[in-house]
Amino acid sequence: MSGAKARSDAPVAEDVSGGSGHGTAAPPRDRKPGGGVLKRLKSRRSQVDSRPVTEEDLRAQSGHISPEDVLGLRGATRGYLCKPEENIYNIDFVRFKIRDLETGTVLFEIAKPPNTEDDEENREADASAGRFVRYQFTPAFLRLRTVGATVEFTVGNRPLNNFRMVERHYFRDHLLKSFDFDFGFCIPNSRNTCEHIYEFPQLSDSLVRQMVERPYETRSDSFYFVENRLVMHNKADYAYNGGQ
Amino acid sequence: MGLLTILKKLKQKEREMRLLILGLDNAGKTTILKKFNGEDVSTISPTLGFNIKTLEHRGFKLNFWDVGGQKSLRSYWRNYFESTDGLLWVVDSADRLRLQDCGQELSKLLKEERLAGATLLIFANKQDLPGALTKEAIQEALALDEIKSHHWCIVSCSAVTGENLLTGVDWMLDDIAARIFTAD
Repeated sequence: MSGAKARSDAPVAEDVSGGSGHGTAAPPRDRKPGGGVLKRLKSRRSQVDSRPVTEEDLRAQSGHISPEDVLGLRGATRGYLCKPEENIYNIDFVRFKIRDLETGTVLFEIAKPPNTEDDEENREADASAGRFVRYQFTPAFLRLRTVGATVEFTVGNRPLNNFRMVERHYFRDHLLKSFDFDFGFCIPNSRNTCEHIYEFPQLSDSLVRQMVERPYETRSDSFYFVENRLVMHNKADYAYNGGQ
Repeated sequence: MGLLTILKKLKQKEREMRLLILGLDNAGKTTILKKFNGEDVSTISPTLGFNIKTLEHRGFKLNFWDVGGQKSLRSYWRNYFESTDGLLWVVDSADRLRLQDCGQELSKLLKEERLAGATLLIFANKQDLPGALTKEAIQEALALDEIKSHHWCIVSCSAVTGENLLTGVDWMLDDIAARIFTAD
């Protein structure tokens, strides 16, 4: 299914009343494409299969963890690959939303309340506080075709250069989906949103059955990098046996 | 991985486009983006950063970047120029008082080297408002006919009703595709 369906709610105009002729009046000429070949090649680095690596390897290595490191992981990690205090930029994920593009329905939305004193206490009590989310969906969720996943985040008073997200979804050791997205620059004290609209991976009947039968064995790791250095690691797990 | 595989992968990736949506604050950039993607547009607050949407459309992977237009944010726009294939400049057609300001900001962008290769689409937005100027009037006010450096097109639209949004975006995609993917 293509994106045409994705914006089926947007009315489509009948005729081209825009003066599209004007632009083409300029004489044809050789033009530099937006961004040179090198730039395009660079953005492709993640396409290359990474060397397989384990969580233990990454813990043992000296220095910072890079995007290439986590792209080599072959399953969800058990622990966190960085500490909450490594988020020196005060990046805060404040909203998460999933919608079904076919029906236009918001399937899930969670907004984080503004930080309170309690948060600080919880953080000390539990290393995963604020970094782990458990989702419970119905089996129908696994049959969706086109979904939009939105995150909203705020940034502290320092600008972010080269902000990049790598998110990997697994069922047991089977990689279901891997996102790799360069946000690039983020404005200090900004509030930003990002929605990825994508074709939900078409899963076999037997895989769907197993995912429904084995709640919380579907997991994801979200890794966030600033200037190629891991600054945040969030985790989630998922059950699809809701309503049964 | 063989060379052919690599080349094939490169080619697939080439069908990706980066589209930057800019304009003065309150021009309707976020509303256009949301409407185009079938989202509710009844409550939209000023963008104090960016809104990104990635989607597939006509076999292209589109990355839309909508960056806030408030004066204090405009100095950050340049951080988003790199690799831009298409620039969507959004105009509030009913905001006559700031039309000159709007034209000045646009002409600054057109001098930017990193936007030199980009296709330019101008949306004369808010045509649903009674006081809206026609796209011909905006074309004149912004002196669009003097633009020789970029392929450009002005399309009148309404982000609220969705009128002409697809028309404009499709023109832009065709223009970019003809330029970038002709080697296919």
